[in-house]
Amino acid sequence: MDWSVLTDNRDVYLSGLWATVLLSLAAIATGTLAGLLVAAVRTSRIPVLAQLARGYLEVFRGTPLLIQMLFIYFGAAYLSGFAISVFGAALLALTLYQGAYIAEIFRAGIEAVPRGQWEASRVLGLGRIQTFVGVILPQTRAIVLPPLVGQYLSLIKDTSIAVVIGYVELVRQGQAVIDRVGDPATSYLAVAVLYFVICYPLSVLVRRMERKAVLA
Amino acid sequence: MLTDWTYALRDWSTYVDAAWLTLRLSLAAFALACALGLLGAAARRSRHAVLRAVAAVYVEVIRNTPVLLQMFVAYFVLPSAGLRLSPVQAGVLALGVNVGAYLTEIFRAGIQAVPRGQREAARVLALSPARAFAHIVLPQALRNVYPAVVNQLVQIILGSSLLSAISVPELTGTAMVVNSRTLLTVQVFGIAAVLYLILTNLVVLAAGLVGRVAFKPPLRPAAVRTGPLDAVRRLLPALPRRKEA
Repeated sequence: MDWSVLTDNRDVYLSGLWATVLLSLAAIATGTLAGLLVAAVRTSRIPVLAQLARGYLEVFRGTPLLIQMLFIYFGAAYLSGFAISVFGAALLALTLYQGAYIAEIFRAGIEAVPRGQWEASRVLGLGRIQTFVGVILPQTRAIVLPPLVGQYLSLIKDTSIAVVIGYVELVRQGQAVIDRVGDPATSYLAVAVLYFVICYPLSVLVRRMERKAVLA
Repeated sequence: MLTDWTYALRDWSTYVDAAWLTLRLSLAAFALACALGLLGAAARRSRHAVLRAVAAVYVEVIRNTPVLLQMFVAYFVLPSAGLRLSPVQAGVLALGVNVGAYLTEIFRAGIQAVPRGQREAARVLALSPARAFAHIVLPQALRNVYPAVVNQLVQIILGSSLLSAISVPELTGTAMVVNSRTLLTVQVFGIAAVLYLILTNLVVLAAGLVGRVAFKPPLRPAAVRTGPLDAVRRLLPALPRRKEA
């Protein structure tokens, strides 16, 4: 292995890393929001909406992220005539796909809070939304947080799938170096190490939170 | 243009062949993953520190890097190490090794959840450690982890779509080819999505039946993850109905 490949192309890898981090952070924000919204609707017992939320969950958890991404990226232009940017399509697909999993995590947390909490808050004159945000959500933290961070972990790794529609992130930059100088082993090793550096601390964090949740 | 389904559906046998390949690939990868998962779980509980360390490194490296990257390594890097694999072989290997790491942790947790007293009782009854494991611990552990294992099989089917990136003509790869030929994007990827829904549902359904037959007392199908078609079924009565006079 020739390590000079790595030092010579340091900026290429770092720009890829930045693109991966950017897409990850954006998708974590939007995916969490989407998941929270869907979980709220799904647990709301509003007849048609709650069922629609369930349908959304099952469709987006039963089909591959890649298919959803391709559908959004190519389908947007097909349906409206307006092209969606690669970043936009990747972000939207990640939001919808991960949002479905995140919604189920929030739902489990929400359902673990006793109904009496709802009733008490309502009696005290809090509105539905006030109750949800101010009383119910804070109590879900211990149940929601470990699997939520675990889901973020899989989201970060899933950003690599955006390569297929042409988003230039870490994996793509690794390939770019390979296209120029060869030596796939070294380049992919570098990419793997960069992913590992991001993901491993999160894995450790998840494990620590899980242990704490069990002991609590 | 959304009404143009005849042209997109004319290639139906292509889609079915591709879906069949997806299913076969997934089952092969699942078999590999189960074998690796059992070995990994055994190694993580081993008395030998080296075995434990090897299994721990396997689990951490695989779970903290993207599966797409692992596929590229299997397909593009292994040849320089003297192992030249076809796209299908490389894909099955990468998927199997990836999910094997998750199954290692699942099996380990399942074995740990079997009460110690079970193993002690088996030993008192003069069963050898190996037989106590095979006949007493493993069946109970499998029952514990069955839903999680089925879920991993669903994840394999979804993950197999990434094999299109190393030119395996499975469902997603085929859809991309048909799309670039016909440009009927919504129809083509819509058909592929429906086929994936059918595949994942079939697998969950089959797993539910197996769970009912293979375990005593039978696992209730509800214990296994509910499939997407459940939602569609539940959605139907929720749609606004015409009021009858």
